Amino acid sequence: MDLSLNDEQQAFRDLARDFLDREALPHRTTWDREEQVDLSIIPKMAEIGFFGLTIPEEYGGLGGDYLTYVLGMEELGRADSALRGIVSVSNGLFGKSVLGFGTEEQKQEWLPRIAAGTSLGCFGLTEPGTGSDAGNLTSKARRDGTDYVLNGQKLFITNGTWADVALVFARTSDEGARGVTAFLVPTDAPGFEAREIKGKLGLRGQATAELFLSDVRVPESARLGEEGQGFKIAMTTLDKGRVSVAAGCVGIVQGCLESSVSYAQERTQFGRPLAGFQLVQELISDMSVDADAARLLVWRCADLIDRGEPFGVAASKAKLFASEAAVRAANNAIQVFGGAGYVDEHPAEKYLRDARVMTLYEGTSQIQKLLIGRAETGVAAFV
Amino acid sequence: MDESELQQRIEALLAEHPPATTDRLDFLHARFDAGLAWVHFPEGLGGLGLSRSMQPVVDKALHKAGAPDNDPQRIGIGLGMAAPTILAFGTDEQKQRYLRPLWCGEEVWCQLFSEPGAGSDLAGLATRAVLDGDTWTVNGQKVWTSSAHIADRAIIVVRTDPDQPKHAGLSYFMLDMHDPGVEVRPLRQITGEAEFNEVFLTDARIPDSDRLGEVGEGWKVANATLSSERVAIGGHAFPREFGMVMNVAKTWRERPELRTPETHERLMRGWVDTEVARITATRLRQKLAAGVPGPEGSAMKLSFAKINQELSGLEVDLLGDEGLRYGDWTMRRPTFVDFFGQDAGFRYLRAKGNSIEGGTSEVLRNVVAERILGLPTEHRVDKDIPWKDLPR
Repeated sequence: MDLSLNDEQQAFRDLARDFLDREALPHRTTWDREEQVDLSIIPKMAEIGFFGLTIPEEYGGLGGDYLTYVLGMEELGRADSALRGIVSVSNGLFGKSVLGFGTEEQKQEWLPRIAAGTSLGCFGLTEPGTGSDAGNLTSKARRDGTDYVLNGQKLFITNGTWADVALVFARTSDEGARGVTAFLVPTDAPGFEAREIKGKLGLRGQATAELFLSDVRVPESARLGEEGQGFKIAMTTLDKGRVSVAAGCVGIVQGCLESSVSYAQERTQFGRPLAGFQLVQELISDMSVDADAARLLVWRCADLIDRGEPFGVAASKAKLFASEAAVRAANNAIQVFGGAGYVDEHPAEKYLRDARVMTLYEGTSQIQKLLIGRAETGVAAFV
Repeated sequence: MDESELQQRIEALLAEHPPATTDRLDFLHARFDAGLAWVHFPEGLGGLGLSRSMQPVVDKALHKAGAPDNDPQRIGIGLGMAAPTILAFGTDEQKQRYLRPLWCGEEVWCQLFSEPGAGSDLAGLATRAVLDGDTWTVNGQKVWTSSAHIADRAIIVVRTDPDQPKHAGLSYFMLDMHDPGVEVRPLRQITGEAEFNEVFLTDARIPDSDRLGEVGEGWKVANATLSSERVAIGGHAFPREFGMVMNVAKTWRERPELRTPETHERLMRGWVDTEVARITATRLRQKLAAGVPGPEGSAMKLSFAKINQELSGLEVDLLGDEGLRYGDWTMRRPTFVDFFGQDAGFRYLRAKGNSIEGGTSEVLRNVVAERILGLPTEHRVDKDIPWKDLPR
């Protein structure tokens, strides 16, 4: 088994890190305070290739394998999870759904703009009443001649107010998960409204929105996949989304580790560096083991995806472990930094606030355990 | 003096200065002068030389009569830390000058101990004071100073002799926060609030008459201040299910739709840990009352931080998406931390400070290991070397 990176993967990682160290690290505290990243970074990120990874060259993307993609997500998570979320949703949840299930026309229409970063996509699945229970969503799509008319409300939609296009999941029949259909809805369509949700504990630099659809009319050509295929599209995409979140979490752990190590080496108390205290080494070695373990779980997923093997349960394991590890590492980092980790001049407190949602979205830790438990036992314990 | 004599004294105060028609500050002055401010203080300094346990008699009676109080939350550092230190180490003149405006809230106090380079290692602090005639000139930087932006006075520990080993070269002063050499800047923290400040001292002046204790005795005086703080913290009796567990248990009872088997188990564990800590606090209080201060306070604080972090984390988990909404991110400069008047996210974030402030959990584990369990002491490289030769 060869766990080394090839030259292209290594080169992309170095490029990504160098770019983010220059363009994101100096600004992340300000973006967090102001509740918005500077959107002029989006085209620059597109130039590096973040939005085009894994999108084939014929659709304007960079191509590249999934391992390269997770390396990019790790670097984004290390720099600023708010940026990672913007890419994960536009390229990942939106772009990969279109790539996997779209018609040739749909791919030609959207993918080049997504890859170039000139358009952002969002993913409209979660509703006020259905978070983990997405099969029971209530937004409706009614057929009217050759059109569909959409009504409903979506909640916690990343990129919601910035996106040019939303992948909206709505019900075309009452048959539970089998009655859900996916639609590509331009956000300037009449009746489509996005309102930003202010006041979040973390990921404050990215726009999180509520979407309101009132009699939004789209042609049949905007339907992604067949009627009733929406839930499958959502779950397939979310499996990959989990790998992306997990990779971002590896970046959080890595960022916590690196910043803690350098602080522990620099700061002296009681006549020696913090790094010379056993309890501080314990905090650091826990982060180091978590970084390796989480990264290897993520790389396994990328390898399965690249080889076309089933990866859903592996993705659940990676997402569960990496997201919990991110919260642990951020707690440890605050503790290593001491008081300095509690103020926003150092990165530790932001890592913690950003890490906190990772155990919740794209399937809570509890949901991941039920998925893993079902795979192990063959018995579903969902209620 | 027994309780009925104390009652008579309270009634006399209320009769001479009816709260309804007396100016607030006039009333507080009269209360101080009647010895009813803090009854365990000596006569003439706001007290009557009684047991601390008589204080609730006064507080209850005055509260019932609608008398104004001295807003103890606003002046907590003065009451809990500065006052006991002034009482123990101050000259008669200093006691007369400072205690009355301190208790009445006319002068707010803050505490300038920690520095950017001296947190856990407080005795390594570097702020220098140099004597010129009968005035000290102070240069350096302090940090984690609650209430500095509203303070009139500060208790401060500084280095007066860098040639001595670190514990021996310190002295303790009272600083005028309105001195032109004092600059206060807020520190924005994980909650978005700025509860703490940085304080920059540039040629700040302190008359030698505002020194507490002898030159070079600063460590001893600072320890007296810190142990007063510990007595103040350990001195309260709490009812069952109080503190961080209170909100989680309430949410659990009122919102059955949020319950899961996993969160149930965590709540039960947190509830039991809280009860153990409460009973431990009762034992600690009894030992203190019997005059046997012990290292148990460190173990208490260690478990308090752990419980607060686990239960505030549980509350956020329990609330799901709702727990990650964060109400207000405007920068505020509170003088009192209200854990309960805010949302779950605030409690979760604020509790992260509990394992750092007032002794990190790592330092407290050392205390428990060495003083309770009797394990070999940590190798200390810096004890007998002149402070100026220590690596920093």
